[in-house]
Amino acid sequence: MKFIDSSRDRWHTITGEDGPMVTLTPTAHSLLSHTQWNGVRNSWPTDMPVGVLFPNDADIEDLVDDLPRLSVVALHFPKWTDGRAYSQARLLRSRYRFGGEVRATGEVLVDMMPLLKRTGFDAVVLRHDQSLDAAERALRFFPGHYQGDVNEHRPLFARPPEEVYSSVEDFNQAGSSI
Amino acid sequence: MYQYTSFDKQFVKQRAAQFRDQLERNLAGTLGDDEFRPLRLQNGWYVQRHAPMLRVAVPYGELNSTQLRALARIAREFDRGYGHFTTRQNLQYNWIPLPKSADVMDALAAVNMHGIQTSGNCIRNITSDCFAGVAADEIVDPRPYCEILRQWSTLNPEFAFLPRKFKIAVTGAIEDRAAIAWHDIGLQLLKNEAGEVGFKVLVGGGMGRTPIIGTVIRDFLPWQQILVFIEAVVRVYNRYGRRDNLYKARIKILVKAEGQRFIDDVNEEFKNILERDIDGTEQIIPQAEFDRVAASFQLPEGVAPISNTRLHVPADAPTSFKRWTERNVQAHQIAGYRAVTLSLKRTGQAPGDATDSQMELAADLADQFSHGELRVSHDQNLVLPWVKESDLFALWEAARAASFATPNIGLLTDMIACPGGDFCALANARSIPIAADITARFEDIDELYDIGDIDLHISGCINSCGHHHSGHIGILGVDKDGKEWYQVSLGGLDGSALSGNTSTPGKVIGPSFSADEVTDVIEAVIDTYREQRTAASEKFIDTVKRIGLDPFKTAANAQRRTTAQNA
Repeated sequence: MKFIDSSRDRWHTITGEDGPMVTLTPTAHSLLSHTQWNGVRNSWPTDMPVGVLFPNDADIEDLVDDLPRLSVVALHFPKWTDGRAYSQARLLRSRYRFGGEVRATGEVLVDMMPLLKRTGFDAVVLRHDQSLDAAERALRFFPGHYQGDVNEHRPLFARPPEEVYSSVEDFNQAGSSI
Repeated sequence: MYQYTSFDKQFVKQRAAQFRDQLERNLAGTLGDDEFRPLRLQNGWYVQRHAPMLRVAVPYGELNSTQLRALARIAREFDRGYGHFTTRQNLQYNWIPLPKSADVMDALAAVNMHGIQTSGNCIRNITSDCFAGVAADEIVDPRPYCEILRQWSTLNPEFAFLPRKFKIAVTGAIEDRAAIAWHDIGLQLLKNEAGEVGFKVLVGGGMGRTPIIGTVIRDFLPWQQILVFIEAVVRVYNRYGRRDNLYKARIKILVKAEGQRFIDDVNEEFKNILERDIDGTEQIIPQAEFDRVAASFQLPEGVAPISNTRLHVPADAPTSFKRWTERNVQAHQIAGYRAVTLSLKRTGQAPGDATDSQMELAADLADQFSHGELRVSHDQNLVLPWVKESDLFALWEAARAASFATPNIGLLTDMIACPGGDFCALANARSIPIAADITARFEDIDELYDIGDIDLHISGCINSCGHHHSGHIGILGVDKDGKEWYQVSLGGLDGSALSGNTSTPGKVIGPSFSADEVTDVIEAVIDTYREQRTAASEKFIDTVKRIGLDPFKTAANAQRRTTAQNA
């Protein structure tokens, strides 16, 4: 999982004084809103890296034709308890074979990490008050899971017994120390 | 019972460790209460009126005596000495302080138990027929399928934050004892003409403010594909279920609003998973996995058909034993065996409640008479599934000494009731005093027998945990001007044989009654039935169906005192 420091991120949104600009000049590593992208997709230079911020209430299928041109799809959690983007990420990876970055934005909390990772996110912008240590630890609690996921396609029952195990850490008292 | 593998055991322990980590962060102030809330809910921790409530998962209602003793010990050491068995076959504690919660999770994990997904907007503990694997009318034993579904739904990363809670019930018998049509997904195991096993799939049932019966979305789905199909249903729901209004967020609203389009979407998603997803076919359940899980549900060692056995009734056996064999003893698949219900409905205790010592006694009875195995029933009783007919008299005597032998299963006092306003922060009104009043009024066992089979269901609020919609008589607590009032409905059906194998919500018989009127109203309704029935063999629900609500309304309205003054 890549933890993104917004101040060092090379990907940038293009925002005018009144919100996202509709007319814009293509620049490398632009992270465009879906609306912006729809405005420029026909004229965007083939070799210029671009990403799209995709809302969680739109059909991810709308983006499918453009996926080969996108380096980043940033999915959004308006509230961390709104789980729609998990399905979007899962479909991007498992159905549409998107190989670029799938980034979690919005209200992204450390306890979401295992869910994000397993549904296909590989980058997150944590909410400013979140602890990186706690996020990294949250990824290590479970040595394995019952279902298959985006990283391990086989459910537990399809894996040979010697593969399903790895030793686990002792996390007692770790929570209060962070 | 399912035998936990080392993976399963480790998994539950890690879940407890993860919860402890979250609790520690909460107590240290780095995880705010609002953000801790959904996390603790998904481990079964609610904050209630007096203290947090813990809901412990009893997967598809199966318990062993070791687990029940651990539950008793937790009741004694951490709670106030009792627990409450629920309609969803779980156990709830009401008095455990939150700082102790991680210790309780460790104690549960030590006996392979947990509170995973017993609350929150996720796929909840899967429920089933309490007589699964022993019922005489069983077509397919649902337990291996339940266990495979339990594993699939446990910490499923895509479906942890659905629009609302999501409940699945599975049955494999002719009679539906799991109220499947009232669930978000109801699964009925059956065999086709070729003898192959599959599921009839219902979707979009539910209670609450808008009671809706599930719609059949598949008549026969081959069992191997069930995980894929459920994934399709839940994914469509996760994407399109409403999130703007708490009361319209259940899948039933989506199914109702979209109708055929919802069904088409699910079928298309199902096809897409199988045909397009990189891992779509990985979830088809292999025979080997089914066999591995099913091996856990073989007959307990030593259980085999016993020929030429018969119920041992001593010559001087009292009537109460005879009645107990009629009401609390059920037919069994294996000759010479019966399933026995330990009634948790008795004077002086709330329906479904058991003290720590009662739990231990039930565990002892299970060890002595039922190969250490128990079930929690949807009707909030305990069941011993493997009792030899020749042991029934001895079991009855032991159960009676432990106050488990009230011969009232299926009768008026075998009512379903939620904990209500005494404990639940959501409730508008109390359920327990109403249940206690009715139990006291109908204490006479001869009278109960004369009234016969009837479902009385009491909910303290419209969330319907007490299933009032599906009661032949339903009582719903409502709040008006800060006072408790009770709506009475008649004619609800839960899908059981007694309900004519159909499900429907009951109809309210008029404006709410005051608490002091409710028991009189129930008595008036019952008296009306006894006057109007064509014969003693006509059941209450059949009389209601035949003569309609009006005679009952008249009788009920005649009981108005408090509410008459206000009118």
